[in-house]
Amino acid sequence: MSVSATTVSDPSFGGPIRFARDTALLTARSLRAIPRVPERLLDVTIQPIVFILLFLYVFGSAIHIHGISYKDYLFPGIIGQSLAFGTIGAGVATSNDITEGVVDRFRSMPVNRLSIITAQVMGQFCEALLGMVIVVVFGLILGWTPHLTAVHAIELGGLMVLAMLAFTWAGVLFGMLVRSPDAMQGIGFIVVFPLSFMAGTFVQISGMAAVPRAIADWDPIAALVASVRGLTEGFPSSGSWQLDHPEIAMVLWCVAIIAICVPLALRRFNRTLAA
Amino acid sequence: MLELNHPPPAIEARGLTKRFGDFTAVDALDLRVDTGTVVSLLGPNGAGKTTTVRMLGTLTRPDAGWARVAGHDVVGEADQVRRAISLTGQFAALDKNLTARENIILMARLRGRSVHAARAVADELIERFQVSEFRDRLVKNLSGGERRRVDLAASLIHRPELLVLDEPTTGLDPRSRQVIWSTIRELVADGVTLLLTTQYLEEADALADRIVLIDRGREIAAGTPAQLKAQVGEQRVDVVAADGAAFEGLTAALSPRFAITALPEQRTVSIAAPDEVADLARVAAAVSDSHVQVDEIALRRPTLDDAFLALTGKPAESDPDHEPEEVAA
Repeated sequence: MSVSATTVSDPSFGGPIRFARDTALLTARSLRAIPRVPERLLDVTIQPIVFILLFLYVFGSAIHIHGISYKDYLFPGIIGQSLAFGTIGAGVATSNDITEGVVDRFRSMPVNRLSIITAQVMGQFCEALLGMVIVVVFGLILGWTPHLTAVHAIELGGLMVLAMLAFTWAGVLFGMLVRSPDAMQGIGFIVVFPLSFMAGTFVQISGMAAVPRAIADWDPIAALVASVRGLTEGFPSSGSWQLDHPEIAMVLWCVAIIAICVPLALRRFNRTLAA
Repeated sequence: MLELNHPPPAIEARGLTKRFGDFTAVDALDLRVDTGTVVSLLGPNGAGKTTTVRMLGTLTRPDAGWARVAGHDVVGEADQVRRAISLTGQFAALDKNLTARENIILMARLRGRSVHAARAVADELIERFQVSEFRDRLVKNLSGGERRRVDLAASLIHRPELLVLDEPTTGLDPRSRQVIWSTIRELVADGVTLLLTTQYLEEADALADRIVLIDRGREIAAGTPAQLKAQVGEQRVDVVAADGAAFEGLTAALSPRFAITALPEQRTVSIAAPDEVADLARVAAAVSDSHVQVDEIALRRPTLDDAFLALTGKPAESDPDHEPEEVAA
């Protein structure tokens, strides 16, 4: 009786050229919204800036980390955290977009299905990138001095792009699963928020209690923060495999997240929205 | 198919069914829309109108049955269906952060037009649908009626073989509704094949060649507006008395001269008005002669509720999940 709904994307949709064209058009659509709805950047800019100010000038004097100034310890953590917050932003934007009728219109047109979702990711990725630039510039203004060699800079850049892609895909998937922007905010607050605090962002993981320390061992944000801190400050993290090898761990995390989230997101896009 | 020389019907569906868990939204619905005609799917909230439209528009897969749109199967040949149709959803399907013109250009680009051609077709549609006044305003700042006009313009970038409009005037004020109706009439005069869903009998009557009345996912009646109205009954004159005593006086004054239906709870006397305005004038004259105090005398068109009452013997039930919409009289 039932028609199986296993087709992920209609293969007849004009091939890679059509895909690239539709993705470009729909990404441009998302990017146009940035200057028109600047409040969407708040998640990835104002929050990190508030945390910078709070931790640098309010709590900072109480935190002492051996071998590094707190300012230099803090900024890599903030970079990792704001990148993780990008997941929430991408999720909120996606669930917003999907509850609007416009995505249905695209789906009823001869538009490559995959491109609708790829464009969503591209748009959110650009927003996250813009937010990151603002946070880094703010950090440099406040006197953060990263010690980067050319090789480390390239390594860091590649890692950041990969991480942003992975976190954005995860956010887009969550945004489609929850189907309400408020619910996405809630999940962000309950999941991403604590994970971003347990990741060695503001204080060292080695000083935390057993339970959060165990969580941090498996927290991808911890690997991200450790990578950024290792590359920009040469400050090592240790205590678990992923903290001892943060860059490798980070690449593995990103590959795993993308490998899981991309097919799930595509499946979800074709199925739930079709209900 | 023996009729090789005839174009296929714009829509042909048999046994179309969609279930959501235990709830059957569309239940073995048959539907046929011939090319060049306007068919209205009429029913209350939750009747299955939107689900039907979504199946025909390739947004939802049927659980059973089949449908061919412009000769193409909605499941197996979704791409061809999408090329042939334009579907405008219940809520304006536009990007609210783009301007009216940018939206139309985007839709044209997605339909394969070059930048130059997309701009040209957008400007032409902006002219035709009287969008010029607000073409550079963001859609989120437009009124419901203005959005609908942009929506319609965006639906006609290519000349669709079938235009599907899902409740195009729900939530609009009467003036905007008139504007949308006249726009739709122009499209129909141009020969566009149209499937229109609505909760308003009046709207289906005004625009459609054929009406399919549905309830709980099933067809309960179908025919031309004239045929349906003949089943539903003609217009009536309702006279509302000012108070209980006046109602008694009104019944006494009118019953010798007209076949009345007295509705004491509403203090209303209702009289069949096959001659419409002429009957209204006769009733009004009789009321005036009787010197009875009345609140209102009105010629009333049958509503969707009347239609359901007449055809099913029970009032239309709205889906409890939806806000009951006011039915325009």
